[in-house]
Amino acid sequence: MNHILTITTNNEASVVERLLQVTRYRGYQLAGLELTPLSDMAGLSITLTVSSDKPIHLLTSQLHKLYDVRDLQLVSADIAALRA
Amino acid sequence: MNGAELVLKVLQQQGVDTIFGYPGGAIMPIYDAIYASPVKHYLCRHEQGGAFSAIGYARSSGKVGVCLATSGPGATNLITSLADAMLDSVPLVAITGQVSQAVMGTDAFQEIDVLGLSLSVTKHSFMVRSADELAATLNEAFAIARSGRPGPVLVDIPKDVQLAAVSETEVSVQPRQRPINTSLAQSTKARQLIANANKPMAYIGGGVHMAGAMPQLQDFLAQCPMPSVTTLKGMGSVAKDNPYYLGMLGMHGTQAANIAVQQCDLLICLGARFDDRVTGNLQKFAPKAKVIHVDIDPAEINKVRFAQVSFLGDMQQILPAISSSTNCSDWLAHCSSLKQQHGWRYDHPGERIYAPLMLKQLSERMPDNSVVCCDVGQHQMWVAQHMRFSHPRNHLSSGGLGTMGFGLPAAIGAKLARPQDTVIAVSGDGSFMMNVQELGTIKRFRLPVKIVIIDNQRLGMVKQWQQLFFDERYSETDLSDNPDFVALAAAFAIPGHCITRKDEVEGALEAMFTWPGPYLLHVRIDEKDNVWPLVPPGAANEDMILESN
Ligand SMILES: Cc1ncc(C[n+]2csc(CCOP(=O)(O)OP(=O)(O)O)c2C)c(N)n1
Repeated sequence: MNHILTITTNNEASVVERLLQVTRYRGYQLAGLELTPLSDMAGLSITLTVSSDKPIHLLTSQLHKLYDVRDLQLVSADIAALRA
Repeated sequence: MNGAELVLKVLQQQGVDTIFGYPGGAIMPIYDAIYASPVKHYLCRHEQGGAFSAIGYARSSGKVGVCLATSGPGATNLITSLADAMLDSVPLVAITGQVSQAVMGTDAFQEIDVLGLSLSVTKHSFMVRSADELAATLNEAFAIARSGRPGPVLVDIPKDVQLAAVSETEVSVQPRQRPINTSLAQSTKARQLIANANKPMAYIGGGVHMAGAMPQLQDFLAQCPMPSVTTLKGMGSVAKDNPYYLGMLGMHGTQAANIAVQQCDLLICLGARFDDRVTGNLQKFAPKAKVIHVDIDPAEINKVRFAQVSFLGDMQQILPAISSSTNCSDWLAHCSSLKQQHGWRYDHPGERIYAPLMLKQLSERMPDNSVVCCDVGQHQMWVAQHMRFSHPRNHLSSGGLGTMGFGLPAAIGAKLARPQDTVIAVSGDGSFMMNVQELGTIKRFRLPVKIVIIDNQRLGMVKQWQQLFFDERYSETDLSDNPDFVALAAAFAIPGHCITRKDEVEGALEAMFTWPGPYLLHVRIDEKDNVWPLVPPGAANEDMILESN
């Protein structure tokens, strides 16, 4: 099952690696990644799509702890499909 | 002032007076600043040892530990210790030198991507790109290390940043901090669960003392009388005279603890995380219990075991809020009788030294606030089973990572943090050799650390598993060609003594404690002695293998 996360982070050089490292280590597969700097260039807006049969809270709770993550929202896969 | 001097200044502002490290090319400016700084640097003999000393310092004192290493091999030598601090939630700041930015990314001499290496073994890590950011970044590193669930933070500082001129203006920075919001919304529900439970049980981890909630815990256990068990890191949390404390639970836990946890109908998990060494077969762990889980890390709630009620935040506030009188006198009596029935036996036949008994004697003889630092293996489990501690800060054991080589350097850190207290390193003949070079640090600073090596001439814990689960095929676990440990200590001007018989133990302990300086006691035991009970892999915790089986 796919899960879509919208994440706002600090624009730090290592932040994408950190997101991907946690995603891999916790056992979720990467199914999509989009990234745009925020207008002030101090932050990044990231859409991360992952797939796994595991409950998604096991990933979001770990990503939330990353120091450079400012905000993290889970857009359920179904809602995303409706919007498309 | 340059960046390197600023580093030392910020350390002082953070209240740091003791640091551990090892110099090298990319961190030379900082070592130059150390030369004239009041911050006392302790030269270790391997960066892993230095970082373990910083961990021992942090864990025995509650302060942030600080260690330093140069780029490349210095930094890679830190990795194991960072991982250890990560898994045991130890507040640590590691500062590494990095090659100058002009050559970064060119595979320069001793250049390695330390930030990349740090990702999975730190709570956070920084690369400082400009001297202007230096003070703020270091302050942030300290704040991250000690806030919430503590952990290691690495700060990588290129050499040109260390050498850059900085203005002396006072740096006061408010680091970005996520506030800890303690929600007590579920406390009524928790109190009801506790009041209505027939068989409540407190399962106590390292999080309680790290939250400074030891007094609140004693009050909680007094107001809500219930049996309690602790994890390896929680040992010493419950007052020694609490009649309903059943000891450590899990793979090598006491029978009483494991049986009672399996029977309980309410498990109150306080600052612990349902580690697999604790739960055994997770599906069969405490099968009848509802769970109340209290932790500061949201990611631990419902990670491996569903909690009917959970609390996030400050343990000091939460424990009083969930206190409720209990109604479980039959259960308390039952647990007391389990404790009586399954007490340890020390009537081991023969003349040879029986390590559990020797450790019990050590525990009874050591001064009250002694710090015991363990290595990893059978001796570590015997320490947990047979020694009693008055505070978790007095029992330093590598729990999450289970790192051999932890004990000796951790003892160095503990001795420097608490010079008034007796510090004892209990090691195995395998583990001791993993950071044996730190005897040099003990010699140099004349640190009166007491070292007890429990020598079974084997990698005992691995040998035990080979015996039980690998058909007695003893692959690569024989250490019968060990060095002469007393002679080895003597090479570092540390006196020592070797004992083999039970009747020598008391006298040897007396001699060790009366000697004013460092001392090594080499205790030879039978290689056949094993750790019991043992919950075999995949089994439920009530299915312990006992010695007689
Ligand atoms: C760095 C490291 N390497 C390997 C292991 C695996 N291991 C766990 S216990 C053990 C044996 C330890 O032997 P010793 O220190 O003599 O202690 P004993 O079990 O004999 O008391 C080993 C090899 C480990 N925990 N850490």
